[in-house]
Amino acid sequence: MKIFLVAFGVGFVLAGANGADAYHRFWANCNYDAPTFMTTMTRDAAQDYANAARYEGYQWGGGCWNYDDVDSYPYDAPGNPSAHGEGGDCSGLTFKTWRESTDDWRDGRYYWRALRNVHGPYTAGDFKNGLGAPNHVVAKSTAGVMDAFASSTHIGMIFTRSLYGGDQIVEAKCEACGTNIFYRTYRSDPGYSGVARWGWTG
Amino acid sequence: MRRPGIRSLAGGAAGIVAGVIGGIALTSTSTASGPALAVPGLDAVHIPPVLTTKDEPVTLRFAVVCPPRADGEPCDGSGSVYVRAGQSGAFRRLTLSRGEVSGEGRYFVELPREIASSREGFSYYAVLRDDANGATVTVPAGGETAPQRSFPLADAAEVVLGPHTFGRDRAQDERVVTAPWGSEVGEVGLAGSRELGFSGPSSFDVAADGTVAVLDQVNGRVERWSRAGVEATSLQVSGGLADFALEPDGTMDVLEPPNRTIPAPVLRSFRGDGSPRWAQRLSDRTWAKLAAGPAGPTVQQQPSEQWLPVAEHGSALDRSAQAGRGRPGRPFANGREVVVERVGAGELRLAELVGNAVVRSWRITSATPLGEVQLAEPQGNRLVVVTKTYTAERSEYVVLVLDRSGVSNSFAVESLEWAESAPLARFRLVGSSLYRLGSTRAGLSVDRFDAEVSR
Repeated sequence: MKIFLVAFGVGFVLAGANGADAYHRFWANCNYDAPTFMTTMTRDAAQDYANAARYEGYQWGGGCWNYDDVDSYPYDAPGNPSAHGEGGDCSGLTFKTWRESTDDWRDGRYYWRALRNVHGPYTAGDFKNGLGAPNHVVAKSTAGVMDAFASSTHIGMIFTRSLYGGDQIVEAKCEACGTNIFYRTYRSDPGYSGVARWGWTG
Repeated sequence: MRRPGIRSLAGGAAGIVAGVIGGIALTSTSTASGPALAVPGLDAVHIPPVLTTKDEPVTLRFAVVCPPRADGEPCDGSGSVYVRAGQSGAFRRLTLSRGEVSGEGRYFVELPREIASSREGFSYYAVLRDDANGATVTVPAGGETAPQRSFPLADAAEVVLGPHTFGRDRAQDERVVTAPWGSEVGEVGLAGSRELGFSGPSSFDVAADGTVAVLDQVNGRVERWSRAGVEATSLQVSGGLADFALEPDGTMDVLEPPNRTIPAPVLRSFRGDGSPRWAQRLSDRTWAKLAAGPAGPTVQQQPSEQWLPVAEHGSALDRSAQAGRGRPGRPFANGREVVVERVGAGELRLAELVGNAVVRSWRITSATPLGEVQLAEPQGNRLVVVTKTYTAERSEYVVLVLDRSGVSNSFAVESLEWAESAPLARFRLVGSSLYRLGSTRAGLSVDRFDAEVSR
């Protein structure tokens, strides 16, 4: 009995270590459900989707959030994918909003729900270069709603243009920034390219 | 050491298994009660046609931004526009139609010609609805008290800019500030990394006596360069890419973006010694530019796309008071306001208003795409405009000094933007001196150009 109790304690501590990690890390709330294939894919549905990710934080390499309007782990170490905090990063948010496939040769049209933990295969630099079957480069002057501007280190989607010639950009830019809509001048910045997704249906 | 018996081994193994199961069960209970799902609010997108050309047909387009539907389809929205010819009187209700495409806004109405072509322009606001839950949003938030106002570009001076030739930019007349990256007084902070990009001082302003104040948000301070030298004053700011304005009495305004813990933009007011006066949330969700207006700080905000005062005579205005004072143009001390509309790839429309009447206007077209308008301010009887022109690989600023007949002076300015700043905070105009905030790998600079001098 004594051995059993000692071993029980050891096992409990071991499980507790894992459990504590799970408790403190947002990804414990996420899932790996299959996405829903859609025949339609509209720009305003993409606006709805990205807008709802506002306030939900930023996680380097992440792609999972809820809709409680709070970043559950706002002080994760920047650039550390093992932090497993809430939110997407810039390319993860774009991948999910653009309903892409984890296979870069597929068009996708997969509706990934917020708590589905997926980042996708693309970095910001990949998007900038139009890599992947669904993606392509567009002229910056004609880039429109829910197209994007991408640099080698960042991508943000055009929520809408704006009177002063800049754009309202929905983006997950950094841990301290969270995910939100910001006024940006990426359109005229030579460091950024215009990129878009093929196949909008409306 | 005594060899363990079979009972001891079995007991130990059973203990570890039971302990692990117990621990997982306990912590699973904890995680199962994680963050609850909530519903994000209703939002709107609209770009108002604030300046229209003669007989231009006008279609008002809106996006209704709803919580995402479970089936992945766009929301079921509806709405009405309340519109009138001119700038006063009763509004007429027009129902929005739902279109097949959403790139410019799925919900639209074509204005009747008698309204769109009114000599006094037209004014309107919209009430948009999420039919799934009945929620509504009014845009602009000021509704009938502060509607969108659109004005005709009658007798506009036409300015045609040919293809821009890059590399012929004008050198500065004076380098006013040079500051290396760092945290000592006289240095400025740099945040970020090569992998994530860099941000430096996000904004600056210039006092009437020529003192240059730089918001060094990375180091939590403002630094002021004058003939007496440089001094630093601590400010309690978040460190985000904020805009900055100096008021004539020395008050400092810092307009902060949302961040990980504060999801809405906030304007913070500081005394000249850096002590905080007040902080006020903006009416709208997004801002483009902060400026010191005749009565206090004013901010160009979205989705209203209006200039909303955030304080008057030293006192902050709450969100509804801001929304109720929205205007289409930036107000200036001469009682006039300047309205700006960038259209398409290479067109810029500008008008100067007195009250609700256009007194001067310009229509500028460029063969090379135009980007953001950094500055559009009266200077004497002229208007100084700084806008960016760009290709895929290059960009430069174009400075235009406009008079009633067109361009009286113009020159190009190099865009020194190694580190990121606030979006429309690169230039300031004091008298005829135009100041540029620039950055390179070595540090920050503020340069002065004489806008009156043609070279």
